[in-house]
Amino acid sequence: MSGGGGGVAQQSAHSLAFRVMRLCRPSLHVNTSPLKFDPCDLLFGEDLFDDPIAASHLPRLLSSQSNPSSVDPSDPSYRSRFLLQHPTDSLGLPGLLVLPQSFGYMHIHTCSIFNNALDNVLVEAEIQTERQRILLLDTSKSPVESIRASGRYDFIVEHDVKELGAHTLVCTALYTDGDIERKYLPQFFKFVVSNPISVRTKVRNVKDITLLEACIENHTKSNLYMDQVEFEPAQHWSATVLKAADHSSEHNLLTRETFKEPILIRSGGGIYNYLYQLKFSSPDNAQLKVEGSKILGKLQITWRTNLGEPGRLQTQHILGNPITRKEIELHAVEIPPVIILEKSFLVSLNLINLTERVLGPFEVWLSESDSLDERAVMINGLQTTTLGEVQAFSSLKLQLNLIAIKHGIQKITGITVFDTIEKKTYDSLLEMERLISILYFEVGLFCGATNANLIFCKITSYQMGLRMFSGPWIHLWTTVKDATRRVPLYGRVSIL
Amino acid sequence: MDMTESPPPQPANSSPITTAAADAADDPLSSPYVSLNSHCHELSTLQDLACRGAWRTILDKVARSRSLSLLSKPHEHLIYLTFNLLSLIKLRRYSDAQQELQTLDDDLDSKQYLFESYPDHYPNQKAGSMVPFALRWLHAHLPLTLGDRQLSSIAFTPSCISSAIKSCPKIKEFKVCLALLKAEISKNEDPLLVSQLGYVQMQYGDLDGAKRSFEAVEKMVVGSESGDVRLKNLVSRNKALMYLVEKDYISAVREYEECMERDELDFVAINNKAICLMYLRDLSDSIKVLESALERVPTVALNETLVVNLCSMYELAYVNHADVKKTLSTWIARVAPDDFDTSCTRI
Repeated sequence: MSGGGGGVAQQSAHSLAFRVMRLCRPSLHVNTSPLKFDPCDLLFGEDLFDDPIAASHLPRLLSSQSNPSSVDPSDPSYRSRFLLQHPTDSLGLPGLLVLPQSFGYMHIHTCSIFNNALDNVLVEAEIQTERQRILLLDTSKSPVESIRASGRYDFIVEHDVKELGAHTLVCTALYTDGDIERKYLPQFFKFVVSNPISVRTKVRNVKDITLLEACIENHTKSNLYMDQVEFEPAQHWSATVLKAADHSSEHNLLTRETFKEPILIRSGGGIYNYLYQLKFSSPDNAQLKVEGSKILGKLQITWRTNLGEPGRLQTQHILGNPITRKEIELHAVEIPPVIILEKSFLVSLNLINLTERVLGPFEVWLSESDSLDERAVMINGLQTTTLGEVQAFSSLKLQLNLIAIKHGIQKITGITVFDTIEKKTYDSLLEMERLISILYFEVGLFCGATNANLIFCKITSYQMGLRMFSGPWIHLWTTVKDATRRVPLYGRVSIL
Repeated sequence: MDMTESPPPQPANSSPITTAAADAADDPLSSPYVSLNSHCHELSTLQDLACRGAWRTILDKVARSRSLSLLSKPHEHLIYLTFNLLSLIKLRRYSDAQQELQTLDDDLDSKQYLFESYPDHYPNQKAGSMVPFALRWLHAHLPLTLGDRQLSSIAFTPSCISSAIKSCPKIKEFKVCLALLKAEISKNEDPLLVSQLGYVQMQYGDLDGAKRSFEAVEKMVVGSESGDVRLKNLVSRNKALMYLVEKDYISAVREYEECMERDELDFVAINNKAICLMYLRDLSDSIKVLESALERVPTVALNETLVVNLCSMYELAYVNHADVKKTLSTWIARVAPDDFDTSCTRI
């Protein structure tokens, strides 16, 4: 089989041409429809082998078909395209390699078109982008002495693509053919580079833990096998990756060893999320804590595609939410279980000093909301409560006398603590939601007793409801128990 | 499937009917099992044509047999239909295949496909389905090919699972594919199956996983008394892939050459060796390897993937690659089976 490259009249004035092929890794060919069959499945009804008579005769009929390994190369038979040699043949994965059909490394070579030999060939290859020009190959120090007629000179260049956008590969050759003057041939190969993946991050603070969620989206046409996704924390930060527990129980040693669940991100828009727990730890310097905590770190991502073709990306600095370290905390210690409308109630609170210095004295009040209409709970009595100093890492109790002016489920909110020395206001420290009852009721069950000592009554549950037009009501369920039985009682009490 | 399984022993208290049937089966004049042709009209010819890849001829033959009413028994019609359907699918005439399928009852379990529904035709035949399993498989496979992604449920045998697995990379459901493979391997540790797991892992980039799979295969093969050249070559080819991935193309070539010495028909080794030569910048030799294989052992080497690779090499090697490819294409037209997909030459 011969193919001639030369001898064809060319329009161009050049004796030379560049041919470029991208040489990323090959792929393993997957035959999606091998359509191979075992002869038994084709020639005979599926249940025929259940018939003992048939089963005794049929193998003999197939024996000539069943040994394809004894193929004679001169026999014009394509039986291997049709017959299954092994059940796994239908998987269509023979381990056959296919050359890449689109862009990657560049395998470049020059082809001589005409019958003349070419002398003193200087080849150069360069990548040009909007921002820069990168020289990939320069043979000016050691030019190719000659390329014979219809000959080739091959070379491979490698380039790590780091920029996005339009790229041009410029191949130039300076050569002498039969003529005296040197000829110059530039050839341009254009391609576009776009982002293979995009990374979106979300930062959340939970108490003193910072959680970083990273979502990786795959924009390429191949599935990405995530080789390594690592978060490199900034100074003073430490990171641990949070993974779902692996509940798989592999009984089979072989599969356990060879089979690890891969992280694969589907092509064309597939995503995968990673979760990291970050902790800030530094020598005690409050100032550093506030400022230095902004930059959390970077994500280093490496992935692989067909046959391990590697890809790499490093994100920009990921910023966290500025942490304002809490100085004081307010906790509710005791609140009455039932709060009645327009009846004052006491709330016990605990003020905790989280700092290492003495804080206070404080003033505590309920801040006014925008309109009087919105307020559901007010302080009963002096509107401002004073509280003394609180020692470092210590706490102090206080009580607020409150009164609710609206019924239903209401927020007790707006508790404001003011440090009179440092002149700092802390609001939004505490918020509670409570049911404000309209009426406190007592329900008594009056039962006629046949046996004086046998009646127990307990309200097991109640439900309070509000109806628009006819006033609220209460349902009661209870049981009355005597020596022999439990009797459920159900009643409805209306409240005006 | 083990072809040489010994016939099951006859039960001691066989009924008179089965004894009569056995006698009938042994009688060379009336037995349906004397030859393939006695089982079904000209079946051995059909089989032979299929082995040669003469699918168009099969279509002609089926059409002729039908028009001349040469088929007398129901099961013959089914077998001919199966061959017809297979031929149409092989020739990628999917809408014609769809039409052929529509002549069948949608329910392949229906009575009309059972032996016992035709007592006159099959007096001594044990009850059961006369549907060839391949027909059931094609019935399920065709909607998939036409783009209907719902897999109809079919009885699972190893080759069915294999087919389900191989359709997965197409849908890009790698994880489902892996789970199915894993389940198969845990039932049956077959070196070929584990190798294919390795290929899947390698294809999506899990090189460590692939390495472990190939090492497991090597252990399996070395353990058994391996006179089997095919298994030895399998281990060598797997090793070569690992070299290739590490860019040690020279070692890969060496492994493939050993394979070719053991078995000159190992076309996977031939193809992959050519690719390694190309990555070594030896484009001329890579082309020579593929061309000589096509000349020497065409029925083994003539394969769409090999042709795609050769054409890629031609496009790189020659400015006037159209001429070379035309020569190749003409040769293919003379020699190739009917189902060869000529679009692989990209002319």
